[in-house]
Amino acid sequence: MTPRPGYDPGSLVSGIVVIVLGALLLLDQADVLELRAEYMLPAVIAAVGGVLLACGLAGPPRGRS
Amino acid sequence: MTDTQPTMPQPEEPPRRLTRSTTDSLIGGVAGGIGRHLNVDPLAIRITFVILTFAGGLGIIAYLLCLIFVPTDDPSAPPLKWGLARTLGAGLLAVAALAILIPDWAWGPAVPLLAVAGAIVYLLIRMVRDDGGSHAGRVAARIAIGIVLLALAVGGFVGAAAGSALGGGIVVAGLVTACGVGLVGGAFRGGARWLIAPALLLALPLAAVAATDLDVRGTWGERTFRPATVAELAGGYEMGLGSMRVDLRELDFPAGRTELPLEIGMGEIQVLVPRNLCVTTDADVGAGAVNIGDGEQGGIDLDVTDERRVAPGVANLHLIADVGVGAVHVGDRLFEWDGPGRWRDDGFDAMETGTSRLACLGAA
Repeated sequence: MTPRPGYDPGSLVSGIVVIVLGALLLLDQADVLELRAEYMLPAVIAAVGGVLLACGLAGPPRGRS
Repeated sequence: MTDTQPTMPQPEEPPRRLTRSTTDSLIGGVAGGIGRHLNVDPLAIRITFVILTFAGGLGIIAYLLCLIFVPTDDPSAPPLKWGLARTLGAGLLAVAALAILIPDWAWGPAVPLLAVAGAIVYLLIRMVRDDGGSHAGRVAARIAIGIVLLALAVGGFVGAAAGSALGGGIVVAGLVTACGVGLVGGAFRGGARWLIAPALLLALPLAAVAATDLDVRGTWGERTFRPATVAELAGGYEMGLGSMRVDLRELDFPAGRTELPLEIGMGEIQVLVPRNLCVTTDADVGAGAVNIGDGEQGGIDLDVTDERRVAPGVANLHLIADVGVGAVHVGDRLFEWDGPGRWRDDGFDAMETGTSRLACLGAA
């Protein structure tokens, strides 16, 4: 059996994805970037997909079977 | 007869010292330690910390002070871990950002309401936890917690959308980023996947607002503007939410180009123009519809430009419309928009393409 890492990969990858999404939104709100729907919608879909994929591949969090 | 027996001198208990708990710990064991010290349920302490966080960040500040100055009950435990430091750093940044951006939040009316909500949540969780309660009671408590969580989710979603549309997008984006930092920090402490839900609940409405450039700051309601002179058009008109009707039918437009900037966050813009006036349009609509006489165009991220050729010496009204979510319509009579592709026809008469085109050529 493969030993589980000392961290929760699902939380880690989800966190990185959410940070990137939050940074994009922050830059848009600060008028540094101009994110139109054609970029924003794929970015959001990719973020949600990335989070689901990370949590799915990582399995249940530590402490849960 | 009573005989008094000499009592053995009891060894004096050492004074109980406040320590952070290493066995009952979610972040740093502060609430667990305080609860143990005061003989109070640590859950109540945790809810109190959360409520006080909405009082100018007092909860986080108090927690941090306890974390720094209250020792742990395990002398061999390391003083602080990197994951914890990251989580706390993100929390501090979030509090600092909120304190700067929303200075009036400290001790606002939300705190008493949160205190009541916190007490209800505490009682509900206790009901679920207690083994002695009836099965029906526990089921009822779980349903109530579900309703509370659903209300929080809907409220968070709507609040994030409204806050973003009202100019608070930076705060919402900061909270999303803070959730992400919390997720990364929590990954090294057993995982914090519960943060995914609030992060997406905040990010999705903000993304929708950002994608449509929705900004409902400004006047709300139904307004009709009837400028007396063409010179009044230079400043344009702006509304946050509602219906803007600009009636220009009585104006006598001079030869040459007259620009009219119009902006609305959410709602419809109706421009009434004199028949046979050459009208050109540059409309930017986040989501909705545009009808400038060439048929209605609808969708997301519309950028409708109608820069037809205008003959020299012809009076030309050039509309520059900026709509977050809604519709723009140009016509010479009153109309009502009933939804995508549906215009109520009581008196409606849109600008006829041919008429406007001929007018621009000076032939109408």
